Amino acid sequence: MAIFTEGRIVPLIAFVLAWVATYLAIQIGKEGKIRIRRLPGLDAIEEVVGRAVETGRPIFDIPGRGSFTDLYATQTIAGLSVLSYVATLCARLGAKLYVPMSRVDVLPVAIEIVRDAYRAEGKLDELDVETQIPYLSGTQFAWASGVIGMASRMKPAANIMIGPFWAESMMFAETFHRVGAMQVGGTARMYQIPFFAALCDYVLIGEEMFAAGAYVSGDPNQIGSIASQDWYKIVAIILSVLGMLLATANITVISDLLKL
Amino acid sequence: MDYKRDIPLVITFIVGVIAVMDYYTTFSAVKETFTIIKNWGVVLQAFALGLGAANLFRVHGKRISDRKTSEWYFSAWLLFMLIVFVVVGLGTGQFEASSQYKWIYNAIFLPLGATMYSSLAFYMAIGAYKILRARNIDSFLLFATAILVILGNTPIFPATFPAFFYTREWIFTAIVGGAYRGIRIGIGIGAVVIGIKTLIGMETGYLGRR
Repeated sequence: MAIFTEGRIVPLIAFVLAWVATYLAIQIGKEGKIRIRRLPGLDAIEEVVGRAVETGRPIFDIPGRGSFTDLYATQTIAGLSVLSYVATLCARLGAKLYVPMSRVDVLPVAIEIVRDAYRAEGKLDELDVETQIPYLSGTQFAWASGVIGMASRMKPAANIMIGPFWAESMMFAETFHRVGAMQVGGTARMYQIPFFAALCDYVLIGEEMFAAGAYVSGDPNQIGSIASQDWYKIVAIILSVLGMLLATANITVISDLLKL
Repeated sequence: MDYKRDIPLVITFIVGVIAVMDYYTTFSAVKETFTIIKNWGVVLQAFALGLGAANLFRVHGKRISDRKTSEWYFSAWLLFMLIVFVVVGLGTGQFEASSQYKWIYNAIFLPLGATMYSSLAFYMAIGAYKILRARNIDSFLLFATAILVILGNTPIFPATFPAFFYTREWIFTAIVGGAYRGIRIGIGIGAVVIGIKTLIGMETGYLGRR
């Protein structure tokens, strides 16, 4: 009996190599040898929160409507990492944060993240969980209309939406744009990226959102781990170019290898 | 040792390794264990649903009793409809399969959802109006490409001038396809790395900044 699932041997090797690369990158990061490019969307978050404090208007952070058990779990985790950072800044600077939730399994985690941030800043008494982290609905458009309603009434100074989004992305981006909110958007859902690009002030495209948690942490270990993404991307580019040239010459060795 | 942080990390690691092994290997013990874990997940989600309902009652119940804002009657309506759905579902004994439940779902809920979804067309039109302005060479190229794609997607134009259809196809396969794949590869790599970091306990943002 075969030990490995058919057709998944090469993906397993790739996964193990990714694990090794991530470990190596973290070790190099510990030595402070890794420099990464700036991501204006994430750099802007502090400015966005500051602006909310100055104008006395609230700030929204929407981590999408993915869960921990679906295909978009990694995006949800990335969104929650940013929420942790935003909540810390809001607690520190005194901005009122709202996190309208859609998924019941993510709700308690989001509550704990925000509570932790306020506790760490010694401002737990300023947090009203029921009002600031409301569960609106588990249904897409019921949740969307709830968020749109909140945005229209409260006229927030800023909106940060990083995580998996579906058709509601355009509704949110347009509504918050209309009420004059500064927006940072980020998703790895391909169809929604153009909507964010059209209406948000800053956009995290594709893998940038996965680097967000490490980036905002400022921790050299975490920043090191981002480098492994770039190493892997270089390997992917080399394989793509090589595969393209060999396929043009009718040599299918790389595509055959990847099928193993 | 911070139990509130370390215990979730250990659980994440163990469950993550089993999930990875389930995908790559054929061991029946691993597959059975992972099936049990997935069933636990379903049960936990059901409990979480109860938490969501309790949260709704607490938040909106408080809003109704305080009556501080003019929207309190929306909260009352929400709780009323929530109770109606539950009573009809449980009362008939057939839950969502009962004809009464289906009726209120199809007559109230579905049209509301469809209305919201259809409003997306207006949001998209407004977004397109804002972005499709030829202010510089970049925005002009975007504008011209969008016009060609719109014309290629509208049946009357390709039916009259097939070139519109082929132009649209060429834009999608030669220009959009390359960029799309590039972003997609990046997303895949990013997801794998954040998955590995979560497994080894490096990505702790979802646990709060401890």
